Amino acid sequence: MSKYYLPVAIGALALAFWLKPEVQEIAAGVAIFLFGMLMLEDGFKLLGGGVLERLLAGATRSVPRALTFGAAATTLLQSSSLVSIITISFLSAGLISLIGGVGVIFGANIGTTTGAWLVAGLGLKVDIAAYAMPMIALSIILVFQKSNVLRGIGYALGGLGFLFLGIHHMKEGFDAFKDQIDLTRFALGGIAGLIVYTLIGMVATVIMQSSHATMVLVITALAAGQITYENALALAIGGNVGTTITAIIGSLGANYQGKRLALAHLIFNTATAAVALAFISQLAQLVDWISAHAGIAADDYALKLAVFHTTFNVIGVLLMLPLLNRLVGFLERRIAAPAPTVSMPRFLTDAVDAFPQSLEGALRQEVDHLYDNAAKLILHGLNLHRHEIYATDTIEDVVRGSRKAFDIDLADQYEQRVKTLYTAIIDYAARAGDTRYDPDTTRRIYSLRDAATHIVAAVKSVKHLRKNILRYTTRPGGMVTTLYDGLRVQLAQILAEIEKLGAADPSERSALWLEQESAQIEEDARSTVTRVETLIRTGKLSPTAATSFLTDSRYAYAAMRDLIAAERLYYAERDSALAEVEHLIALDDDELDAPSADHDTPVPRTPAPARNTTVTHAT
Amino acid sequence: MGIKKLAAKVADYKDRLDRGKASKIKPDHVAHVLEKLRKKEAALKLELAAAKNSDSKNRLTRKISVAQEQINRAEWLLSKIA
Repeated sequence: MSKYYLPVAIGALALAFWLKPEVQEIAAGVAIFLFGMLMLEDGFKLLGGGVLERLLAGATRSVPRALTFGAAATTLLQSSSLVSIITISFLSAGLISLIGGVGVIFGANIGTTTGAWLVAGLGLKVDIAAYAMPMIALSIILVFQKSNVLRGIGYALGGLGFLFLGIHHMKEGFDAFKDQIDLTRFALGGIAGLIVYTLIGMVATVIMQSSHATMVLVITALAAGQITYENALALAIGGNVGTTITAIIGSLGANYQGKRLALAHLIFNTATAAVALAFISQLAQLVDWISAHAGIAADDYALKLAVFHTTFNVIGVLLMLPLLNRLVGFLERRIAAPAPTVSMPRFLTDAVDAFPQSLEGALRQEVDHLYDNAAKLILHGLNLHRHEIYATDTIEDVVRGSRKAFDIDLADQYEQRVKTLYTAIIDYAARAGDTRYDPDTTRRIYSLRDAATHIVAAVKSVKHLRKNILRYTTRPGGMVTTLYDGLRVQLAQILAEIEKLGAADPSERSALWLEQESAQIEEDARSTVTRVETLIRTGKLSPTAATSFLTDSRYAYAAMRDLIAAERLYYAERDSALAEVEHLIALDDDELDAPSADHDTPVPRTPAPARNTTVTHAT
Repeated sequence: MGIKKLAAKVADYKDRLDRGKASKIKPDHVAHVLEKLRKKEAALKLELAAAKNSDSKNRLTRKISVAQEQINRAEWLLSKIA
């Protein structure tokens, strides 16, 4: 179907221009209006930075806040479609809750009605083109600046200017049109009129992908006397339903949460339209009453249409609010969450592309998902259970008690549960090369990518260990078992510390804690060769077993270093000044590597009880 | 040795700041990080008091030593930034 859209649309326009050249100015007015909305959208994305993410996360903590945010954002952006797409993107990325997202959509439906007020209250009553021209002229100077903020202001100013210019041309077009054609010949009364014009409004919005553009067309046509007030009301109702199609299209690339939100949008707008159609006479009377009290002239149908648009959307929200929890329950049953797929990305979806500011959040979630899979795989590779390691205070005892080999194919599990996620992370992180991102966001995205790289490297290192872990730790083998158990303990301790770091209060957590682990890793790595040499000299370890252990210990310490490096990147301060402080305070590698000179005298190590003291030969 | 290295890093930071390649650090930023480090040190000392075996005690002793070094650095940095 979509491949026919372009030729059909161009063909229809060409035919209309040929049959009625007067249509050109109206069509151009619509095009300029839509172009203005695109510029406004681009301006907002440049200005947004991390502000929108923080605002959206904060705004969706409660339903009233979500409603207010939806209304305010749509008023500012003059586009409910953009707000829907942003909300779907953030919901898909796991950054906001479903109920919060639905609240934003409800609010957006109210905010979108300000467009009608803008046109009816301002656009038709003042020489709007007089404001549009200087705005557009000024904007182009700002658009060519280097600063993202200035460019964003330029795009927003230009967008607003084009919106005004579009309204002006639509107005002029209809004024010229009415001298040639009287569209009121096609007016329909009664239920037929309601249904037909609602459908026309719906189709027009789907074609133009903008309920704003439809309302502007309707108001300018009404002001020019080209359509009747009753038919205009039906067109406005139809426009409200048509706008849900944009949300549905936007949800196609989203995960199940995004699809739930699009369905919520469709249900709300359709229900509101149904109520408005069923009670249209009563609503019209209510509009007359409000207009009379607001000082709006009885024959100012354009402003009354704006009152109608706002009134029926507000009524829709008031009716649906008490049913919000039931609506969310229905959405959750109708579009069930798929069983969590450990092997497929959960948060990096096409919806993230629709609004780039959600990429960083989605990446962070996905790196966390990758780490979760990797930690499980590493511990299983060492024949250890995660829940036992994380729950105990004496990891050494748990390790010594874990002798049973886990039946896993580490290479296969790596391909399924680690590589697929890593591939998606690298793919999406590459999009940060896009100049839409500010330098701080780009830095954080690349840090998350690098964290993922370290996590994968750690898993690969443990893959190398697996063979000898199975050989030497599943049955007592003397000193070599003790040595390999030591590696298992150290790896498990690192994972347990990372778990504690993740569970800590974010306001108290610091990536600097990991240096304390790094120092221990370097101390242990440094003393490995000396310890092994002593064991060989005293006959407690064969040279063959020693070579296996020395090689494997390098893999083990590499895995520990990679895990630490990954978590330092993941938990680095987001604020660039705080990140700078951490960087300055952090010990350098050579400082972590140096033998401690200023420490309290360590308590002598208690050697692990030897199970047997015979020298073990590697086979 | 630690403070010497830190001083060199601060000099490098100031150079980057002058070139517009670093974010400006205020005393509040350093104080914020220092507070976190002090809380962590206190938590480690409690763990050490409760530790049962020598390996745990050695491990925690070393971690406290690193935490103290980090605190010293943060305090020195605060004195330079304030």
